Amino acid sequence: MYKGYVVDHDLLKKDQHFILACTQCHQGNDKVLKKEEAHKDLIKRPSDNMANCVMCHKTVTEKYTKSLHYTSAGQRNGVMPRFSKEDLKKFDEKVFEKSCRSCHASCGDCHVKSPAVSGISTGLISGHKFVKKNEGKTCSSCHGGRVYPEYTGEYGGEPDVHYQKGMLCVDCHKKMEFHGDGKAYSSKNMVKDRPSCNNCHKPGSEKNPAAKTSHQTHTGKVTCYGCHSSGEYRQCYSCHSATGSKAKPGFILGLNPRDKKTLTTLRLIPTKKSTFYKAGIKMENFDALPNYWDSAVHNIKKRTDRTRSCDSCHVAKAGFLNKEMVIKEGGSTANEGLIYNIKPIKK
Amino acid sequence: MRNVKWLKSVIVAIILLLPLTALARGIDPLVSTDWLQKNLGNAKVVIVDVRKVEDYKAGHIPGAVNVFYGSWAIKKGDLLNELPPIDDLADVIGSAGIGKDSLVVIVGKTDKVPDQFDMTRVAWTLKYLGVPNVAILNGGQNQWVKENKPLSQDMVKAKAKSFKASITDKLYVDKAYVLDKLGKATIIDTRAPAFYEGKEKLAFVPKLGRIKGAVNLPVGQLYTPEGLYKDKAALAALAGKAAGNDLNKELLLYCDTGKTCTSWAFIMTEMLGYKDVKVYDGSSMEWLADPSAPAEP
Repeated sequence: MYKGYVVDHDLLKKDQHFILACTQCHQGNDKVLKKEEAHKDLIKRPSDNMANCVMCHKTVTEKYTKSLHYTSAGQRNGVMPRFSKEDLKKFDEKVFEKSCRSCHASCGDCHVKSPAVSGISTGLISGHKFVKKNEGKTCSSCHGGRVYPEYTGEYGGEPDVHYQKGMLCVDCHKKMEFHGDGKAYSSKNMVKDRPSCNNCHKPGSEKNPAAKTSHQTHTGKVTCYGCHSSGEYRQCYSCHSATGSKAKPGFILGLNPRDKKTLTTLRLIPTKKSTFYKAGIKMENFDALPNYWDSAVHNIKKRTDRTRSCDSCHVAKAGFLNKEMVIKEGGSTANEGLIYNIKPIKK
Repeated sequence: MRNVKWLKSVIVAIILLLPLTALARGIDPLVSTDWLQKNLGNAKVVIVDVRKVEDYKAGHIPGAVNVFYGSWAIKKGDLLNELPPIDDLADVIGSAGIGKDSLVVIVGKTDKVPDQFDMTRVAWTLKYLGVPNVAILNGGQNQWVKENKPLSQDMVKAKAKSFKASITDKLYVDKAYVLDKLGKATIIDTRAPAFYEGKEKLAFVPKLGRIKGAVNLPVGQLYTPEGLYKDKAALAALAGKAAGNDLNKELLLYCDTGKTCTSWAFIMTEMLGYKDVKVYDGSSMEWLADPSAPAEP
């Protein structure tokens, strides 16, 4: 028997959720002893039905149902400019609801049992305790492909300096980001009050004069990530084609596709025109979006190759997106618009 | 028969001299959980917990600062467990509140034997950067928990110190150095016998085999089944058998990545009195990728 499911008496006394009977959330039948009968109509994930949580947690649950963690709307709206009306209808029916939406998080995914990713869950977070937070067992599951292992250094690079200082997700990403503020945003980029380096690292407060000068010189031209990403982070190739996904480390600098003027770290989103052919989606406007997107990489270091030497960018152009580097087969023509030709420093 | 007698006398002499090597340090190289509990209030003692932040936050030795293992060793190119830039390491050490006069106790998990080596690699790196008094908590966090000693969930913020590294020359050496010492120094392969004999290898090591002329001193021999270090006499006998009893002889230790071999390097130097022990950081990952580097069998 899997002991993780045993709810002991100590836990029953400590956690006021257990004022309720098991059946109140899980249904089934607690009047019988035979497992088959007791588990008839059992609901394994009670919080998939928000009505169970809203009874006591009305405000937060109502806000949460509009949050991006719950709606997954960012995944739909991000790719939407590529679709005709007809394409969008098919996407909503055949792709978004059946695939993307399966990633939405229920209350229980973060507070009771680690979310299942590709069908695999690490189980209850702490017995059946309702926990406030446990980033290593919750955030790390859904964001375990790229962000979390980059942050801890387990992807193969250096751990993020904030992890070295003992910080976990919730130290920067506040509660509002998880639960939402009650508005239904179309993308995370619309959300105000997201973490910003400047919230803690005030411009002009640098102790090192060289750092102060460098920050002043690059303000508005390069994001913090551009210089302070420690190096390679995970780039995925071929995820959205039939050949199977491949991931390998890479460091890419290019223009932010959202403003086309700020240099930043880019991550490849390997969608091809043919990605949704099986669903009958043609993506005739495929080239409306590039394949490279600005990425808030989580491998920040105080010193990097770029902070140690101006030549890393201005002479060697290390990591800069160029015509040879952009994905060839099936890539968007918009990719080349992100190439930035950096100039040597005038001395 | 005469040789056996002579060998026994040498081993006995080594064991008798062992306490003197310990006296030269400000702290024993291995400290027990009881010793650490008694010294929790000792202002000179800095307890460094090298486990993941998540594990540390779940419960740690009171007063321990958390400096995750990944801060001490990184992937560089294709090689695992390499030294980060020295200025970054100096920042890490200083921000943990470690000074050159600190008595540092390294704590890690010991769920499995390979977990032990996070602690010794950190200890060796601290020595390399000029912190002489470094100890390993015998049995690590697991032993502390097993004995029901107190735990804390407070995030300890160390009082940062300005730390300037003084590199202790040659504690870590590169491939060129090892090539130059072939046939001159004693080269010690600390992997398990099947790896030393070229019968097995880890996936990330390019091929089977060992550095030509290396002798074998497996790291698995260091520990009891309970995850504690064996006693000094047993360790001295094991080390002496592989490395000889000349404490001044130059010894070059390696493993797969330059991490596990730090366990014997630390014990041989800090406990057994060997004076010239170096770790080949690139180890098998680097050596066996080079077709011109002499390997056998």
